[in-house]
Amino acid sequence: MAKKSNKRKATEEKKEIVVKSKEEFSDEAEDSSANEEEDLLQKVNEVDGDSTDDEGIEQNYHSDDSVLEFESDDEGNFTGIKGKEAGEGEEDDEDVEGDSDEEDSIDEADIEDISGEEEEEEDADDEENEAEQEDSEDEVENLKEKAKDNGDEQVVKKKEKKPKTLNSNQANPAKALEDFNNELNKGDKNKKGIKTQNNSTKQYNEYENSDTSDEEDIRNTVGNIPMHWYDEYKHIGYDWDAKKIIKPPKGDQIDDFLRKIEDPNFWRTVKDPQTGQEVVLTDADIELIKRINSARIPNPEHNEYEPWIEWFTSEVEKMPIKNVPDHKRSFLPSVSEKKKIGRMVHALKMGWMKTMEEVEKEKQAKRGPKFYMLWETDTSREQMRRIHDPVSAPKRDLPGHAESYNPPPEYLFDEKEQKEWLKLKDEPHKRKLHFMPQKYRSLREVPAYPRYLRERFLRCLDLYLCPRTRRVKLNIDAEYLIPKLPSPKDLQPFPTVESLIYKGHTDLVRSVSVEPKGEYMVSGSDDKTVKIWEIATGRCIRTIETDDVVRCVAWCPNAKLSIIAVASGNRLLLINPKVGDKMLVKKTDDLLAEAPQIDSLESERIKTAVQWATADAAEQEKGVRLVITHFKPIRQVTWHGRGDYIASVMPEGANRSAIIHQLSKRRSQIPFAKSKGLIQCVLFHPIKPCLFVATQHNVRIYDLVKQELIKKLLTNSKWISGMSIHPKGDNLLVSTYDKKILWFDLDLSTKPYQTMRLHKNAVRSVAFHLRYPLFASASDDQSVIVSHGMVYNDLLQNPLIVPLKKLQTHDKVEEFGVLDVCWHPVQPWVFSTGADQTIRLYT
Amino acid sequence: MEAENGEGQVQVHLKTKQEQYGVPDVPYSIDATVATTELNTFVNTLLEQTSTDDSHRTVEFDFLVFDEYLRGRLCDHLREKAISFEDAIEIEYVERFPAPEPQDCLLHDDWVSAVKTCGKWVLTGCYDNTINIWTIKGKHVLTIPGHSMPIKAVSWVSLDEERGKFISCSQDQTAMLWEWMVETNSVECVSVCKGHERGIDCVDVSPTKDRFATGSWDTMLKIWSAEINESAEGSTKKAKLEGGSTRTPIMTLQGHRECISAVQWMDKDTLLTSSWDHTMKVWDLNMEGIKTEISTNKSIFDASYSNLNHLIVTASADKNIRLYDPRTNHGSVVRNTYLGHQQWVETIMWSTTEEYLFVSGSYDNQNKLWDCRSPKAPLYDLIGHGDKVLDIDWSNPKYIVSGGSDNTVRVYKSRKAVNGGSKMETGK
Repeated sequence: MAKKSNKRKATEEKKEIVVKSKEEFSDEAEDSSANEEEDLLQKVNEVDGDSTDDEGIEQNYHSDDSVLEFESDDEGNFTGIKGKEAGEGEEDDEDVEGDSDEEDSIDEADIEDISGEEEEEEDADDEENEAEQEDSEDEVENLKEKAKDNGDEQVVKKKEKKPKTLNSNQANPAKALEDFNNELNKGDKNKKGIKTQNNSTKQYNEYENSDTSDEEDIRNTVGNIPMHWYDEYKHIGYDWDAKKIIKPPKGDQIDDFLRKIEDPNFWRTVKDPQTGQEVVLTDADIELIKRINSARIPNPEHNEYEPWIEWFTSEVEKMPIKNVPDHKRSFLPSVSEKKKIGRMVHALKMGWMKTMEEVEKEKQAKRGPKFYMLWETDTSREQMRRIHDPVSAPKRDLPGHAESYNPPPEYLFDEKEQKEWLKLKDEPHKRKLHFMPQKYRSLREVPAYPRYLRERFLRCLDLYLCPRTRRVKLNIDAEYLIPKLPSPKDLQPFPTVESLIYKGHTDLVRSVSVEPKGEYMVSGSDDKTVKIWEIATGRCIRTIETDDVVRCVAWCPNAKLSIIAVASGNRLLLINPKVGDKMLVKKTDDLLAEAPQIDSLESERIKTAVQWATADAAEQEKGVRLVITHFKPIRQVTWHGRGDYIASVMPEGANRSAIIHQLSKRRSQIPFAKSKGLIQCVLFHPIKPCLFVATQHNVRIYDLVKQELIKKLLTNSKWISGMSIHPKGDNLLVSTYDKKILWFDLDLSTKPYQTMRLHKNAVRSVAFHLRYPLFASASDDQSVIVSHGMVYNDLLQNPLIVPLKKLQTHDKVEEFGVLDVCWHPVQPWVFSTGADQTIRLYT
Repeated sequence: MEAENGEGQVQVHLKTKQEQYGVPDVPYSIDATVATTELNTFVNTLLEQTSTDDSHRTVEFDFLVFDEYLRGRLCDHLREKAISFEDAIEIEYVERFPAPEPQDCLLHDDWVSAVKTCGKWVLTGCYDNTINIWTIKGKHVLTIPGHSMPIKAVSWVSLDEERGKFISCSQDQTAMLWEWMVETNSVECVSVCKGHERGIDCVDVSPTKDRFATGSWDTMLKIWSAEINESAEGSTKKAKLEGGSTRTPIMTLQGHRECISAVQWMDKDTLLTSSWDHTMKVWDLNMEGIKTEISTNKSIFDASYSNLNHLIVTASADKNIRLYDPRTNHGSVVRNTYLGHQQWVETIMWSTTEEYLFVSGSYDNQNKLWDCRSPKAPLYDLIGHGDKVLDIDWSNPKYIVSGGSDNTVRVYKSRKAVNGGSKMETGK
């Protein structure tokens, strides 16, 4: 209840103030609402001399009233100026003080006095508003009382002023401290007070009186503009109701002078630039200004030398404050430190540790004479920009004469060059110059670069699309990726030079075959002759003429027999060369002379295909012993390792194109009932009873005993030309007309283990050496390529293939180069037959 | 340093083993850039000064620096040998071997695969299965048919004024021992040596003239008696009527894996064979086994052993001639390689009188005369053949004889040997 009454009082006070201010203010504001009046009033108060009086009043209120709102309400305005000087940090104190002034009002007032100056606008924010709400409630009342109280109020103010100043003077620190303590004790009471306060504040519209110090001055709505803009007008802006604020009549100098003489307050009269009104400064204001001028703290009541209050003791306590015992960790010496120290000690022992002086000396010594790069490199500059490991831009060529704006005439394009340049429009990289040299008389005439935008765009696009991370370019030599092959030098011996040329044939030599002992060889040619040569000297021992083109010759691999199989046209001739061991020659002759009895009848199919016959006398003379006449031209003959079986191939023979002849029984067999394709060549397995049959595309391996297909090798080539089997029987070489040589590892897969494209033209023939790990291939590009082909006994180790030597001495005759290739059985020598009618020996 | 640039002076001592050309043994300082011609004039001048009378005639010398022929400038030679220019260098000079002169060309009907001289007679074996006897002057004396296949090797056994004895080997697997009456110019096949299973490639008669050895394509080495055995002759009268008795080998030595390409008696019990199987073997006939084996990496076509310097030169399936020393344990080490031929060297033979000289015949149609101290270049190229040279012989020091596939036998007269030979003859 007491509070309520207090409030009432306070409102009354307000009204009084309002009235007072109205009196001071211009008349125009009178008809406006009470609110506005109040607002205006508050603003005025800032500069008003009356504020001191208000303060005084407030103090009074405080003395008998514990409500803070009022105090701040009025005070807020005041402190609007003052607060700026006062430290903000003391807010708390103020609050506490403010709350605690219920009990003994006098003391409180004192405290207020002390702290009053320090009070701030922010309090004012709420509290003012609350107050104003109250005001509005009591508006009617106020209006009624206005007139009545007018006169008294002034008096009261004046009266009140004095005690206040007295109080402030008397205020001493000791008392303040006491008061503070009291306040602390009454903390709970304060809370209550605040509560009630809150209840009361609910009635106010906080923002109704929106006058806060940080808002714009609403007495004049023109805002913060230079007021001299209104110099030429009668008014000086607009008030809240958009009415013109008329400038007060301005007297001339005489008036001023008169006033100066007459008005004792003239010296303290200033003009409010915002409203144009004259304001008389109060003593407090003047005091304030003086203090500011003399650089003192504006609030005279502020004591700079207040006694030190030791809120927190500076003495060191003997007993710990907390009862928790120290952690064990804190007693143990640090391991890392120990290590560090250990390292230092070790360094000291070893004499690594150096004093600063020594280090400095060393540095000096190390530094030596100073050099620096006069021409800085790009990378160093990038490093300076802290781009590590930068990718430096490629160096561009220096511009040449052609790039000049005025190049010498010889650099300018003539018509032909221009045409050529334009022709390469679609492939600009092929141009010699990426621009067309152009001539201008002066640099001024050089036009803007037409592609500037485009190139800028492309550059930006590049930058945008380029990967941000640096792609580490694999710095690998191409050489490194190539499998490590031994150097050809280490793989000697192998043929390297042409040693002998066997001349004598008069047409292209199709085929060559060497005697198992290696003393002689036989060759077959298109000149319808077979020649037997002595290898070492190049001597043609014997020439055997036949009736037809000799397509293939094959010396019987069995050293116990002296027979050559010659495919001459349709006839397969078995010739005794009559060289070498005489006994052998004779024995062979005897063997071939007597025809064995044919016990089994041959089928019609075979009979129509082949006929066996003994050679006639004339041919006997030449050495021909047996003639096997085929129904189609024979392309190839091949011996079985034991020398009893011969296989012949007639590509045109359809399903009878491969025939196997047995010498001892003079019998022929047709192993295949159906033809799987155009058979190119056949080959006996060196160890097993197997037959390799090469058609155009594939190689089939047949078991001759079980008479079944074992495997089909896929060559993936268009046309097979020849085959050769490794003497161990597990690896097969296939040459093709499409320039490839295929190495099949028969244990591995049906696909080639390796495909070699060594030749530039069709490969005609390929051959393994019987003893050395060598193979050779003959091609229409006139070359014989000798390669190392090592097959290891270890099954896990793949064959090693190293091309060694290209031997190219044959001449080209009508697209034909080397037709056949054959190895010497014991020496690392290779024979090749060519279309140039020669046989060549490379050693 | 100057010398390094070929401009300095080098101190040399001039020495010779030929006393008649001795010069005072004082160091001479000569320009390092000198070559043989300058040295020649220098030495000749010295000789002229030292000779008391005017009998001195200009002699061509060759110069040996550290046992190798000087072929270019002295400084280059020294640099190559890494010899300091500051040492006093000993230069040995020898009278230059005079260039052999082509003397004669003996025309045959077919390739000449074997030649052998003895005294003034030349024995040739031919691919037309005949043996021919010529005089060194180029007169054809006799053509002897008898073999059924090309002759591969011939060798004299003995020759005197009345009768000569020689052996011929052929691809028909036989060797024939012939007796030739010089006076009547009649020849008789003493015996046919049968036993080889393939063509015989080489033959050599022992120093004692009582045995000969043949090497064949059947990889066997066979030793035969070269004596005209009376008893054998008597017992095989029938055979003799047919053209000679049959003879079987005294000894068959097996060891090579390929054809034996050359055989030579080193002394009366030691044989050297070379083979296509890349080896040379020294056989001890008393032990009937292999004494030493020298392996190489090429097929050897011919090998020759010198009794003068006990070294072996080989001709193999390449262009190089190689020098081996059979006495060392490391016989396989090539002592020297002689480069010069352009093709396979088919035949090679040491001089019988000159310690350092040998001749070679090659498929590049050339014969070359080498000094084994001059590996870079031969002393002389003996040009004349129009095709492959198949056999060369220098048994008679006076003449170098070679047969080739151009159907000729070329005779080169060796001038030095004329003197030397005559001396030897007089010595005898």
